Amino acid sequence: MSDLKGQFDALHIEYREKLARATTEQEIRKVYADYGGGQGAIRVKQKDALKVAPNAEKREIGNLGNVVLKEVEGDFERRLGDLAREAGERDLLRSVDVTLPGRTHKVGRLHPITLVRREIERIFAQVGFVVAEGPQIETDFHNFEALAMPKDHPARGMMDTFYVADRDDLVLRTHTSPVQIRTMLAGKPPVRIIAPGYVYRKDDDPTHSPMFTQVEGLCVDEGIRFSDLKGILLHFVKRFFGADFGVRLRPSFFPFTEPSAEVDMSCVFCVGKGSVNGALCRTCKGSGWIEIGGAGMVDPTVFGHVDYDSERYTGFAFGMGIERMAMLRYRVNDIKLFYEGDVRFVRQFR
Amino acid sequence: MKISLRWLRELVDTDLDGAAIAKLLTMAGLEVESRTVFGGFSGVIVAEVRGKKPHPNSNKLTLVDVWDGREVTQVVCGAPNVPEPNGERGAQARLVLWARPGATLPNGMTLAPKEVRGVMSPGMLCAEDELGFGEGHDGILIFSGDEELRPGDDVASKLNLPDEILEVNVTPNRADCLGHVGIARDLAALLGKKLKVSPHPNDTAQTGAATVVIEDAEGCPHYSAQIIEGMQVLPSPLMLRLRLQSLGVRPISNVVDATNLAWLELGQPVHAFDYDKLAGQMIVVRRAKAGETIETLDKQTRVLTDEDLVIADRDKPVAIAGVMGGASSEVTAQTRRVLLEVAYFNPARVRRTSARLGLHTEASHRFERGCDPNIVAHVSDVTTPRIGRPAGMRTDVYPKKISPRTIALRPARTESLLGCEIPTARQREWLSRIGLTVSGSSDKLDVTVPTYRPDLEREIDLIEEIARLEGYEKIPVTVPRLQVVPEPMESSTSERVRDLCAGLGLDEIVTYGFVSPKQIAALGFPNDTPEARPIRIANPIREEQSVMRTTLMVGQLLTLERNQKRGASDVRIFEVGQRFLPSAQKDAVLPTERRMLTATLAGRNGGWLKPGAELDFFDVKGLVEELLDSLGHSAQFVQPQDETVSWLHPRIFARIEIGDLFVGVIGEVHSRVLKHFEIEGRAFAFEIDLDSIHVAPPAVSQDLPRFPAVTRDLSFFIDAEVSAQKIRQTFQTIVDPLCREVRVIEDYREAGKVPTGKKGMLWSFTYRAPDRTLTDAEVQAAHDKLVGKLKETLVVELR
Repeated sequence: MSDLKGQFDALHIEYREKLARATTEQEIRKVYADYGGGQGAIRVKQKDALKVAPNAEKREIGNLGNVVLKEVEGDFERRLGDLAREAGERDLLRSVDVTLPGRTHKVGRLHPITLVRREIERIFAQVGFVVAEGPQIETDFHNFEALAMPKDHPARGMMDTFYVADRDDLVLRTHTSPVQIRTMLAGKPPVRIIAPGYVYRKDDDPTHSPMFTQVEGLCVDEGIRFSDLKGILLHFVKRFFGADFGVRLRPSFFPFTEPSAEVDMSCVFCVGKGSVNGALCRTCKGSGWIEIGGAGMVDPTVFGHVDYDSERYTGFAFGMGIERMAMLRYRVNDIKLFYEGDVRFVRQFR
Repeated sequence: MKISLRWLRELVDTDLDGAAIAKLLTMAGLEVESRTVFGGFSGVIVAEVRGKKPHPNSNKLTLVDVWDGREVTQVVCGAPNVPEPNGERGAQARLVLWARPGATLPNGMTLAPKEVRGVMSPGMLCAEDELGFGEGHDGILIFSGDEELRPGDDVASKLNLPDEILEVNVTPNRADCLGHVGIARDLAALLGKKLKVSPHPNDTAQTGAATVVIEDAEGCPHYSAQIIEGMQVLPSPLMLRLRLQSLGVRPISNVVDATNLAWLELGQPVHAFDYDKLAGQMIVVRRAKAGETIETLDKQTRVLTDEDLVIADRDKPVAIAGVMGGASSEVTAQTRRVLLEVAYFNPARVRRTSARLGLHTEASHRFERGCDPNIVAHVSDVTTPRIGRPAGMRTDVYPKKISPRTIALRPARTESLLGCEIPTARQREWLSRIGLTVSGSSDKLDVTVPTYRPDLEREIDLIEEIARLEGYEKIPVTVPRLQVVPEPMESSTSERVRDLCAGLGLDEIVTYGFVSPKQIAALGFPNDTPEARPIRIANPIREEQSVMRTTLMVGQLLTLERNQKRGASDVRIFEVGQRFLPSAQKDAVLPTERRMLTATLAGRNGGWLKPGAELDFFDVKGLVEELLDSLGHSAQFVQPQDETVSWLHPRIFARIEIGDLFVGVIGEVHSRVLKHFEIEGRAFAFEIDLDSIHVAPPAVSQDLPRFPAVTRDLSFFIDAEVSAQKIRQTFQTIVDPLCREVRVIEDYREAGKVPTGKKGMLWSFTYRAPDRTLTDAEVQAAHDKLVGKLKETLVVELR
């Protein structure tokens, strides 16, 4: 019996030596299988001994083997645990220079005209205005005639027009007002639209671009008043620029609105105070106001062209330049930057 | 329109300063754009030249003896035009302006005695620019004596200087405000003051000394002619000259200056003919004969059409009516008799002629906006004595009498339209103050509008007058009542596309809708395609902006080139915008406008601490695939055998198709095009017609696979010409239904690794069942079946 114990111990010692030499999980598992596994040397030795042993000794032989096997399993798990701990410790020794730059993942930037247009659309959507669009090459009727500017009307001189060659009935639209005409021709009031889009005027100097982006609004219904126009414009200016900003309407003239108004808002630089740090504000020349667009009540002549009853319906319209809004918001001082496509310019906007 | 504050104050009593008046006018629709000081100087007196002699040390300088009414002083003068003390015209024209020591000039300089080339000079004799009167610096200002100015007089106090000049932006509807009286009328109304002008009756016809025939009464409803004699053509008195100069008008002679004064005061253009140069001594107002010519005052010969209205004498045109006078009858120093024309011309006719000739004058500016047809006689009567003596009665031909109109106004309508309470009495008051006559009851007023306000035709025009005089700031702030409005027109595809493109790393640009025809041509579209025939602009600013773009590529390539020139090596840009094509339908009024997405990429992929790989076709294709997939579309990329895209590489391009729909093209930009646009390296681009793409309906959620998948790979050589698309399509027809995905993993063509004319490919097949874990045997059977069928359908050499 003591002889058998000696043999188990010998195998155990042999196992421990091999286990110590094994360096990977796979090797460790193999060593364990070779000795402690179902077909391992210790179990085989135990089975063989049981086969030949008298019944009285069988219980003791079984116990003897099981004690060793228990220790063998314990050795195996300790060894695996040690290996994992060593690996973990080694892993923690890895390092990087976190001050090196990150690998680039570039998101492209939207053009400031898009950013501002979307915000304007969103602000007017809050008060029920939906977006409407129309063609850029327009008929003389939609761009002028229906807007109370027949041929030879002096107001045509206010907007220098590009004409389409060989087609005296077509122009590059000088404003998005033809969208108003198309919308009214297509349906009856109530109408509440906002019409953004590119427009063209034969005007090219440091402050004018021959193509620019305009947004116009139109609201027609029973009982629409000039005071409502004031309210809507005030809503826009306060949402777009901030609660400190106000709106002022100043009498003016457009053939398609009456009464007509220039729309002024508090100067974005001095917030309407007229001075900055005690000096005259250069942007508004001290007046505290800057011009941002035109507006007015829809002229009955326009309603006549779209077959709306001007006794029953009244409405207001307004228009402004998106570039102008973007220049005021982002402090851009050259309108040409919008069309040069310099990615260094575009990538400044978020 | 330049307005003199001093003149305005002569017409309206007010203590307000220039800033306050400017604000009042601006807030009533007469926007004052700027205010400038005219004649801001002091210490300058009138002096008479009493003697002159050369400077001892300079032959350009003169020593001038000037008399200030008490004593004679010697002043050094550098001007070439010092008058002769005993010249031909004697005392008539030897007054000058002397800035004495202590005088302050408009440029802020204060004068002190100064030695000039060894001779002391107490101050200087002034040229007009030195006193801020004008631009002239050819010599000192010289004028003759009159009752206003005598030697020793202080110029500023005698002439009421300084004056303040307001630049008023007069809108096209306010023809009445193109003269001082019109502006003064509004100012008086705003202040509740009386306008200090004498009333005049409306005009009637009368026969006088001049012979006038109107052949075209539609073009000229009213013409008056006054013959003036007993005159001498001379410079005007200094005061008048300065008044004209302060308003930007060059003084010429007493005759011309008097005509200019008429429009400055009353907005009515006036023309003076040399009566003795009119053939037959008569005036005929008629249409020009087609091809008839006239030399105008600016010495240009103008060819006329029968649309143009002319003033003619017996033989020939002597003026283009309402636009410009003719050279042949111009008033000169020798003129002894003048025929003074004051008339009312048809605004549209003047505008057409002025526009056609490109000849815009102070006269045409007023006539085309509409003058007062009933002020004609009055203007003639006030202008005549400024020139000379009337030779008999004025002739007034007035074939088409224009009378004041009467308009009905409902005061309640004013209030409901403005959203503001304005009592009827107040509405009446405002209208009366600008010269309208109001009668009738409070629910309907009858308003008679004088003919100087042709812009007031309808009730709404009167409401606007009330609103602007009351002040827009008095109108309250309200919001429109809530209404359900129709659905918006959908522009959501392009908005979504913009966001996706930005998310995929492209920067947005905006370029002009018009481009250069040369740049379009450089893209090489075949002549028979609509892209090669852009819509032309009749009146472009410049050739580079003279045709409407038929593709957004021109803007893309110009922008790429510009960015490269500015040092950007990696450029990824996109634009969403319209292209313009001639309409496909014959009867369509408008050209075709299509909303395009166009993108261009050049440079490298992002590398880390070293340059990344150069961009290639597949970078851009992957981007398009992800973009379209995000919109719910799966695109095919097809390279047709028999066609190319003129601006893309003939072998590295594809048509983008969604189902059967052709939506765009993609490829490497043709080297010939890159060269033309001076672009460095390669560039890749795609253009997609967004109007043919719609956002797909919301996706229906699919159950995620619950059982594991098994993959099998297949490696083979195949003819290099067989496209991956073709092979994929073959696989898709022969695979077992258990195969859920077919992917290409490798495509290699390196010589030595593959047989000539072949390419090596590795494909991966993913097998999965929705309801169980597949066994190896099942997968192997399906895959073996695939391999068997592959050999029957394609010539492949399995590896």
